[in-house]
Amino acid sequence: MNSDEQTHVISVTNLSKHFAEYQAVDDISFTVKKGEILALLGPNGAGKTTTINCILGFLKPDGGTVSIAGIDPAKDVVKARKQLAYIPEQVALYPKLSGLENLQYMSKVAGVNKNKAQFRELLERVNLPKHATDKPIASYSKGMRQKVGIAIALAKNAKALILDEPTSGLDPSASHEFSQLIQTLAKEGVAILMATHDLYRAQEDAHSVAIMNQGKLVHSLTGDGIKEVQLESLYLEHVRVASTC
Amino acid sequence: MLILTLKKEWLESKREGRIIWLSSIILILLACALLSSWHSYQQLQTQKQQVIKSERERWLNQGEKGPHSAAHYGVYIIKPDTALSVLDPGLSDYQGAVLRLEAHKKNDTLFRSIQDAIQMQRFGDLNPAFILQTLLPLLIILLGFHSIAAERESGTLKQLLANGLSPKSFFTAKVLALTGLGLLFFAPVVLYLVYSLLFNDGSFERGALFIVSYACYIFVWALLTLIVSSYARTARSALITLLVIWALACLLLPKFAIEDAANRYPTASSQVFQSKLESEIYTPARQQAIAEFKRATLSKYHVDNVDDLPFAWSGAQLQFGEQYADKVFDRLFGQRQTQLEAQSLHYQNMAIFSPFIALQTVSMSAAATDLAHHQLFSNAGETHRRLIQATLNGDLKDNGKASIRNNKSYQGDHHLWEKIPDFNYQYPAISELSAHYGRAAACLLLWLAVLFSLSYFAIQRIEKEGQL
Repeated sequence: MNSDEQTHVISVTNLSKHFAEYQAVDDISFTVKKGEILALLGPNGAGKTTTINCILGFLKPDGGTVSIAGIDPAKDVVKARKQLAYIPEQVALYPKLSGLENLQYMSKVAGVNKNKAQFRELLERVNLPKHATDKPIASYSKGMRQKVGIAIALAKNAKALILDEPTSGLDPSASHEFSQLIQTLAKEGVAILMATHDLYRAQEDAHSVAIMNQGKLVHSLTGDGIKEVQLESLYLEHVRVASTC
Repeated sequence: MLILTLKKEWLESKREGRIIWLSSIILILLACALLSSWHSYQQLQTQKQQVIKSERERWLNQGEKGPHSAAHYGVYIIKPDTALSVLDPGLSDYQGAVLRLEAHKKNDTLFRSIQDAIQMQRFGDLNPAFILQTLLPLLIILLGFHSIAAERESGTLKQLLANGLSPKSFFTAKVLALTGLGLLFFAPVVLYLVYSLLFNDGSFERGALFIVSYACYIFVWALLTLIVSSYARTARSALITLLVIWALACLLLPKFAIEDAANRYPTASSQVFQSKLESEIYTPARQQAIAEFKRATLSKYHVDNVDDLPFAWSGAQLQFGEQYADKVFDRLFGQRQTQLEAQSLHYQNMAIFSPFIALQTVSMSAAATDLAHHQLFSNAGETHRRLIQATLNGDLKDNGKASIRNNKSYQGDHHLWEKIPDFNYQYPAISELSAHYGRAAACLLLWLAVLFSLSYFAIQRIEKEGQL
């Protein structure tokens, strides 16, 4: 294993997945390194969520491979999932339980061994208001639920974080706060894959951008290139071009 | 994982409120049923002991009379109860608790509680068995129908799986948590069984069978509930499916099985049966047989007249008449018994489709309130009746001659009455009666085995979450 392979926490190689006649993901490859944020962009139906489901091991690829910290979810899904945390658009939590109780249950189920005080600290770290910690999730805003989701990822010490439309529906302030949190996680060495429609957030936060359309990876950008381009124009250009092909 | 799941389920249920109320209602109902059954049982046992004592006194103090008059005077024997009958009265209300033993007749048991029941009682009797067999599965369904389906609906299942949850551990923990909750409702019953074992001469073997079969039943319903919940797309569809299964298994199939058994293996009504008995005993053939017996006896003793026999002919003739009737009893009661056993076996066979029928059969057997135990008691009573008749007729035959010579009718006294032993019947060990409940017990185990196999697919279904 070379140094690149060691730092590539998420590796997707020639991934393909089809549903009946529909090719949802068509031979795509990308990697996310330790501490890197990759924004996966694309219109609805581009194949972003299918790609994420393959990475999470919810779908078995028809071709290609996925690797999470060196583990193929198609071979050992539970072990692969132990390495990652997943935050969907709507973080699914138990409405009758408090944020703290949700965090405790979700983390302990994943094999995390921490005490109550440590879990409280994690909720503080994600800036969940103290008064909300012991209140039922039913009373939480979407932003607060996302914070509990991040706390779950922190508790797990996940090597990779998979986000599916994490800022959708968040107000600008909550979106900004969320962005800061994931940047902190990246600085701590977590590899982050973020499927999003939020071009602004992608340009602000991501170290790499991959644009998908009709199951194909149609364009990639890394480093300073992201800040320098008109991402919206580039996105629309690739989405439009691909759609008319 | 189990403790974690239990704690989480408990917290959710506590905050849900309805579940706590529902569980409390069932527990209160169970406690009331248990106390009420226990109270009735205690009263009944006291009464039975009094009746047994006074009945013996009545027999011994009947004064001097002809042995055959004493045979008609008769004795009443009391059916014994096990401590488990408090939990499962089974068929007791329909079977009667007292049997009159007299000359020439094989009676059916008397004092069936159902005869004294008020009309409204036909809509159901609240006893612990009804609650445990019918209401507890419903409670398990209500506690567990949403357990996995709601997690799927709300997305928490996917969230948990993405977190590295093992579907097998998750399903196992859910099953054990639900079974544990179900067993909690069984705890008062276990306490009662321990009490009856320690202080009430209960049978360990019967108690163990009772506990194990109910634990299996609770496990069956917990597995069934969670398998359906694993497959259902929504909690609502899981609930509807489970309620249909419950209604079929606990309400409709047992009724259908009873009707079907009665149609396939019909038995004559009580009146028809009694009149058939009468008509088949008191026939010209009987007169002929008695005449033949008389001829053979006179020939054996080389005399021409019964007065010349070395014993009282009346005693010998009465005993011959008894034995003649006994053969008819054995044949006709045997035929009826064969039909009843066929009905019972047919009902048991339906346990393949209903765990309720399987448990009900095993439970009644353990509690000695089923048909087989009733038949054992009846048979023991009949053996005792024949012993009484043989003793009294034998005494008349042996000692009646002297009185006839003195132109006096022979009178028995308390020395003769004391020769009739107490009827002190005890049911055999339950292991000896496995032929009567073995099929049902096997069905209960079969249900467990099938559900265990289906659990594998339920776990697969959880694993595939996210693909659908």
